[in-house]
Amino acid sequence: MNNKKNYTKSILAVVIFAALIIVLGLVYNQFKPKAVKGSKEVTIEIIIPEEETKEYTLFTDADYLRQALDEEQLIEGSDSEYGFFITGVNGREADGAKEEWWCITKDGEDVFTGVDETPIQDGDKFELTLMIGF
Amino acid sequence: MKIKDVVIIGMMSAIMVAIQVAMAVLPLPNVELISLLIIVFTLVFGYKTLYIIYIFVLLEGFIYGFHLWWINYLYVWTILFIVTILFRRKSSPLFWAIVSGVYGLSFGALCSIPYFLTGGIPTGLAYWVSGIPFDIIHAISNFLVALILLRPIYKLLNILYIE
Repeated sequence: MNNKKNYTKSILAVVIFAALIIVLGLVYNQFKPKAVKGSKEVTIEIIIPEEETKEYTLFTDADYLRQALDEEQLIEGSDSEYGFFITGVNGREADGAKEEWWCITKDGEDVFTGVDETPIQDGDKFELTLMIGF
Repeated sequence: MKIKDVVIIGMMSAIMVAIQVAMAVLPLPNVELISLLIIVFTLVFGYKTLYIIYIFVLLEGFIYGFHLWWINYLYVWTILFIVTILFRRKSSPLFWAIVSGVYGLSFGALCSIPYFLTGGIPTGLAYWVSGIPFDIIHAISNFLVALILLRPIYKLLNILYIE
């Protein structure tokens, strides 16, 4: 009889302990630090010929375009003596053998700075277009 | 105090520091044996454990530097010592596993006290809440460690101390 009582007490103690852990988990879920959205809203359009154009809206505090694109892991590339050279956008690699390359424009106008040096402001819209032919 | 007690205090403090430093190398945040050792030491050595705790705390300060966390160490382990003294007649490993687990769960809250005092309620709450996932790991690991290791360590120390 005593053994049964002790067994019940032990089970109850473990259940209360587990409940405390769950309650603390819920408290964390409710009050955990929320990620703060960046203050600039930037639109990125990815244009690939004969494919549907994709549009992304980024919220960032980045000063330059590369950092904003890196935050969303939208671009891949390599550093060169002329700056960062984009080789892939959103998983689509430019095929050098087919003379493919990625072109950056802002509101349809050419951008004359590299992705590293292109400043961004709230409301900016950039297009990343896969071009064919050098 | 007997020479035997001085030797025991020195040895147990050294064991605590060595175990803490060794476990800090492992990539397991908040998985520790210090809570278990304090419970077992208190059950076996009684009030002498306070000497062990404060030598351990002092040596930790020398190793890692005397920062804000060190203020926490001045009272957090003593709280576990007091809880253990209060329930020292209990012998069930499950009981001590739950005590150790609940202590692990409340560790972040106890450590946040200096942040409440220096930065106010928002700072203290932010510190405590951001550490809750680590408190949960601490609670579960303390529970399992005590459940598995309390009895063998207690028996070993009891035999060595009495003989």
